[in-house]
Amino acid sequence: MTFRLTCPVCGKRDVYEFTFGGQERGPRPEQEELSAEDHFRWMQFRMIPCEPQEEWWYHAQGCGVWFRTTRDPGTNLEVEGDGDGDE
Amino acid sequence: MAMSEAPSAERSPPPGRLPPGPTCRVDFSRPLDFTFLGRGVRGFAGDTVASALYAAGVRTFGRSLKYHRPRGLYSMEGESSNTFMAIDGVPNECAETTRLRAGMSVRAQNVRGDPRTDFFGLIDPFDRLMPAGFYYRLFHRPYGLWPLFQNGLRRMAGTGVLDTQHDHGRDGLRAERYMNAEVAIVGGGAAGMSAALAAAESGLRVCLFERRPWLGGHLAWRVRDFEGEPLHARAEALARRLRAAENVKVFTNSPVTGVWGENLVTGFTIGTEDDPFRECHWECRAATVVVAAGCMDRPLVFNHNDRPGVMQAGAAWRLARTCAVRPGWAAVFSVADDQSLEAAVDLSDLGVEVRGVADAREAGRQDPELVAALEKRGIPLLPGWAVSRAMGRRRVRACELRPLDGGGSSHFQCDLLVANGGMQPRIGVLATAKARLAYCTHTHTYQPAELPPGVFAAGSMTGLRDPRSIEGSGRLAGCRAADLASGAASDRRTDTARRDADALPGPVAGCDIRHGSGIGRGAKAFVDLDEDGTYKNVKESAAQGFDVPELAKRFGGFGLGPGQYRVTGQNLAMIMADLRGDPIETATPTTVRPPLAPPSLATLAGPGHDVHKRTPLHAEQAAHGAVFRRAGPWQRARYFSDDVTCRAEIRNVRNNVGILDSSPLGKFRIFGPDALNALQRVYISDMRKTRPGRCKYSAMCNDMGHLLDDGVIVEEGEDDYYFTTSSGRAGATVEWFRFHTRHDGWDYNLVNLTDVLGSLNIAGPNARKVLQRVTTDDVTNEAFPYMACRPITVGDGVRARCLRLGFVGELSYELHVPSSYSRYLWDLLMEAGADLGIRPFGLEAQYCLRAEKGHIIIGAESEARVTLTDIGMGWMWDRKDTASKKVGAPALRACEKQPGRMKLVGFRVDEGQGSPRDGALVVDGAEIVGYVCTTRRSEALGWQYGMALVCDGHAAKGATLSLQEEHKPGKRATFSATAIPPHFYDPRGTRLRA
Ligand SMILES: [Zn+2]
Repeated sequence: MTFRLTCPVCGKRDVYEFTFGGQERGPRPEQEELSAEDHFRWMQFRMIPCEPQEEWWYHAQGCGVWFRTTRDPGTNLEVEGDGDGDE
Repeated sequence: MAMSEAPSAERSPPPGRLPPGPTCRVDFSRPLDFTFLGRGVRGFAGDTVASALYAAGVRTFGRSLKYHRPRGLYSMEGESSNTFMAIDGVPNECAETTRLRAGMSVRAQNVRGDPRTDFFGLIDPFDRLMPAGFYYRLFHRPYGLWPLFQNGLRRMAGTGVLDTQHDHGRDGLRAERYMNAEVAIVGGGAAGMSAALAAAESGLRVCLFERRPWLGGHLAWRVRDFEGEPLHARAEALARRLRAAENVKVFTNSPVTGVWGENLVTGFTIGTEDDPFRECHWECRAATVVVAAGCMDRPLVFNHNDRPGVMQAGAAWRLARTCAVRPGWAAVFSVADDQSLEAAVDLSDLGVEVRGVADAREAGRQDPELVAALEKRGIPLLPGWAVSRAMGRRRVRACELRPLDGGGSSHFQCDLLVANGGMQPRIGVLATAKARLAYCTHTHTYQPAELPPGVFAAGSMTGLRDPRSIEGSGRLAGCRAADLASGAASDRRTDTARRDADALPGPVAGCDIRHGSGIGRGAKAFVDLDEDGTYKNVKESAAQGFDVPELAKRFGGFGLGPGQYRVTGQNLAMIMADLRGDPIETATPTTVRPPLAPPSLATLAGPGHDVHKRTPLHAEQAAHGAVFRRAGPWQRARYFSDDVTCRAEIRNVRNNVGILDSSPLGKFRIFGPDALNALQRVYISDMRKTRPGRCKYSAMCNDMGHLLDDGVIVEEGEDDYYFTTSSGRAGATVEWFRFHTRHDGWDYNLVNLTDVLGSLNIAGPNARKVLQRVTTDDVTNEAFPYMACRPITVGDGVRARCLRLGFVGELSYELHVPSSYSRYLWDLLMEAGADLGIRPFGLEAQYCLRAEKGHIIIGAESEARVTLTDIGMGWMWDRKDTASKKVGAPALRACEKQPGRMKLVGFRVDEGQGSPRDGALVVDGAEIVGYVCTTRRSEALGWQYGMALVCDGHAAKGATLSLQEEHKPGKRATFSATAIPPHFYDPRGTRLRA
């Protein structure tokens, strides 16, 4: 498996330079009245869609920025147009 | 026709050799002596191990996997394991492709002694005992006997024996290289070179990879005249132009192992005498890839097709033309394409008596020019015929040819039987690139039906045979690749190339021969040479229901061996389609597995450089006898004597003063309006309680509530903080902060100062005396109490950040100075403390000292099953704070009261029980209830203390813990200990605060 990611600072670089930060799952839930189950659901549960998903990546061997990108796990490739689909 | 054998003075070639022609790569003026089975053999520069052995008369190179049949030189390309040998103690080296070096020691493998007279060869007649899948089906009942059979089978089968004493390439001569190119070309034949030249015209960076030591592909050894010049000269002209192109980098000796996502081409380069490496792994990220990998002979399946003396047309031809080795005296051909007919003519011209050529194609499909050439040389051509069996027990002595549509047979005496079913493309590279391949009923080969983006195929692998067409297809592919890589629309050049290519002859019709004529049972007709998989075995597989190639591969092992797809793939698919009665185009080959060519494991392991960091005080510590050990990325001083219990170092800290290089400690500055928010998020304590001039001890947890890191935080100014992390977390801290605040858009800056600042600890009752001697600042207990942090000036005015901490349980100061001042500070302190007996201590002493104090080290006394509260540090946690959304707080809340969790306890081993070791089990009868994290015998305490993680039912204060160790299987030592709070040394902390 090998592909490239587009760092907003450095441009397209090999995936080896990045660490994966998981799917975008929204900000941390408010902790007031947060049930353990809801917390763990947010923390651990993942959908595994075979379609483009928003992901976090960290340019560890580069500039050190966390960024979001939309990538299709079916092809491993980033999806053009940065993903929101409504632009 | 036959050459004169009389030696003509000195000019005559050495024994077993032909006169070197224009395509010869062997230099008779440079002999290379080596040994085979201990006997001296002479080869020449340019030989492969196999060509030199063949010239020396060796015909049996090894024995086959299951039946121990003699096997000989077959492809000259390493397509099968036939010529795998042990070379210089390394098993499974491919003699066909390994370049000869002087002094090599070559041995056959999978044999007892000489491969010609292998004892296990007696197995061969008993093939009935080993049907397809026998390993899974036979010898399993009664089950108890299986290990016996298994071991016996393993001894007889398998290829090669690993010499565990051998260095196996851990010679440091391994390199790696990472490249970028706009266009990568796989294959340095006429198509690949034309593609490279076309792409290079656009000014792009082009890398071309060729597995052979030279360029030219099959043209490199062909002397046939074409448009007024021999084919090899045509290839040489292309190669010259290519070498002159500045923006083309040519890699020879460089097999490609695969093409991966977004056109990453991987492979390796086998070093020559001029290279500084034995093998170099490389990866080339290319915008586009042109695959012009060429063709190989499709093996012909017939009875005894594995006898030494049976070989592919390319092998016999190249032996003669590139190595000047006589492949045989009397040859018979059973082939199915024009290039092989050309080989027959050429070998005849070189003095090999060609006694007959069977061509599986019907009459009229052959190149008339070649038919005439055969006729002129008096070589009988038998269209519509094929070989039915090879004869001769140890090597080919004769063969039997038959018409494919039945009828009488003809016998020929021969010592060389050249056999193939035509050519098949080397589809491996396209397969790894995830091209969709489909059977083409015109060429009777697998052809790319759909290519991935940026991948182009060209050359003879697409069925082209005319050299102009091959070059034209390469040129077109090169233009298209360059257009795509440069983002240009298809330019005029490309249109011209397309028109030119279209005007040239297209793919040539192939032959769909499945196997030789009159195959019968096919018990000795090998579909797979590596795994001894026969035609009969394929039928057995199909009969058992494993009737598609992928299933047959698993059941009968076809294509599992080193040859993978290459020898077996297309034939297996074609034969299986036949057996099922399916149309040939439905046949699907087995998946091609990478690596397409095998690099050595040592090459994949890499150069093995020990890449580490040294602290600014490395030399100073070395001068004091430090023994360094790897700790994360650092080399750190672990001991300062050969006493691994470090008694003297520990005693000096407890009674006097020691000095420790703690430079790898993580050191950070965070500032900005949202710095406190960020600290509140990742630290588990209430970080609003930091104060200027005071160290606040706190910890970070992960989302599961596990302790991740601990350290101190000092407020240095408004929205400006300085903090430390454990050495192991220094590299991950920025990533962690940024990740857990990624949605918040907070405004803060975080700077990693770990390498910028050195750190020194002085610890012990005399630490203050030493410090006071190097500074004019007031460091008395009143002015500079425990947990204070002050800037002080030391020596000639060096500003140091001084933190009064007590990790080791004594009065102690940590001094952070710019790294460049570390040595100055070290010298200053050593001199100031000289008369007090200051001496360095290492990590092991620190480990013991802090354990006596009950201070934990993450990873030693904490692990993935325990949370902050489990290890007794829950007091840090600001439970009321939900607004900051602290990382780990919800998990801590959820499992704080959970029963059955592991807890950290201290213990004291009872008197007279001896000393257990780290990792001893805590048991309750037969049940394991925990384990010892750290245990040491303390000189200061006078007893053996330790910390253990145990299930909470056993963790009560005063409980008896039963510790157990197994020194040898069944030999156990037990110890009894008593659970006590883990603050063994100075529990009130009076020494820290002194
Ligand atoms: Zn970057």
